[in-house]
Amino acid sequence: MKARIVFLVLFVVLIISSCRNASKKPEDFVLAGTGSLTESQKSGSEAIEEIYGYYSSSLEIANLFQVAGLPFSSDYLASSINISEQSGSFEKALYLGILGADLGYLNMYEKTGTSMELITSIEKLAVELNVSQFFDFDNIKRLSLNRSDLDSLLFLSLNSYKRIDEYLREYNKAELSTLIIIGAWIEAQYFATQVIKQYPEELLKDRIGEQKYLLNDLISIVSPYCSQDDKFIELCKYLRNVAAKYNNVNISYTKGEPTSTVKNGILVVTQTETSMVEMTDEQLKEIIEITGIVRNKLISN
Amino acid sequence: MKKYLLGFLFLLPVTGVLSAQSVPDQLISKCLHSTGPAAKYLKDFRIQLGKAASESEFRYKANMSLWKNTRYRFTMCTADDSAGQLILNILDDLNKPVLSSYDTKTGTIYPYVDLICNKSGIYQVYFDFTGYQSGSGVTIVSMIQ
Repeated sequence: MKARIVFLVLFVVLIISSCRNASKKPEDFVLAGTGSLTESQKSGSEAIEEIYGYYSSSLEIANLFQVAGLPFSSDYLASSINISEQSGSFEKALYLGILGADLGYLNMYEKTGTSMELITSIEKLAVELNVSQFFDFDNIKRLSLNRSDLDSLLFLSLNSYKRIDEYLREYNKAELSTLIIIGAWIEAQYFATQVIKQYPEELLKDRIGEQKYLLNDLISIVSPYCSQDDKFIELCKYLRNVAAKYNNVNISYTKGEPTSTVKNGILVVTQTETSMVEMTDEQLKEIIEITGIVRNKLISN
Repeated sequence: MKKYLLGFLFLLPVTGVLSAQSVPDQLISKCLHSTGPAAKYLKDFRIQLGKAASESEFRYKANMSLWKNTRYRFTMCTADDSAGQLILNILDDLNKPVLSSYDTKTGTIYPYVDLICNKSGIYQVYFDFTGYQSGSGVTIVSMIQ
């Protein structure tokens, strides 16, 4: 009888342990025989799922600036953010996203030595939101000061945000995760719309126009909270105002087969299919204007 | 008592698979440092799979936004103790194949694949190990200027 009880206890412990790990997300691991193509055809909800954890928008925008040969400017950074004691978790989560985007922009331009103040602000927000355990601030600061290993710095920074996203969603605080993503997106959109005023690059115009679909997905993930309180009501109104300016922006596609070549052992595939943004200068102007208004309202709350 | 102990030992390998760490940090770090000097980290996928029960479709799937006018590099790294090599397929939102890191005609596996993206959208990235074998690995996605 005693042996049977011991066995049962061990069995239950093992099963609980297994179940806890089995609940990990697909990005962590997939067990053999699960998640086949037929079971997991792309759906709208899967596409929206990709939006969660999407903190890299400022890196991708900054990469585009660099491809176009555009210089760094600190004028676009949200240095005026004032994290007051009155700020609640709503503002803190938004700011965490906004400052994360700023950090990404600084890192991409390797202005890492000047990012200490920003990292300190991010640390303060993370502590107040009880998510500081996901940041390796010591190493982030060390790598920023050394300017030696940009890739590791980008990895550490993005991975921290990814882990926060997973944690918040797992512990029923998905609205905070959504706010961080929206903060990161609006800041990256702000960079793009400010830079294009000075440098009217076609590359940037395309990227701004292509945000139409991403913005719709952002509105989808925030919509469950849109009537939660006055702050969310206002935020949703802002996002819908931005989306309204995209109503007549069209994106069309041309067909084509990818071509490939091998260079220095690297398989290089070039898409010949293209996406094309149809957006008038007037539409762009309105998007620039509304983005600036919304972003500046968010950082002045 | 003995039969219960045997039962417990029988359960251990099963739970060992379920609770295994996804991918060793060392492999991620090593892979991160092998992407090339012009590469800037964007995202990673950590894959751990057992041997497939059937050989039909790639088992690990994720969605990823890819943007026009960007050159992406996918660096695939496989853990030494893996039975197969990590391979990648990318399909667009209409399930049209965009690239594969495995040339089935020649059997060549490319650990580095660059995609010069000209169509923005959400793509489907699929991973598995050659021969649908077991293995663990990581793919680092970087941007190249």
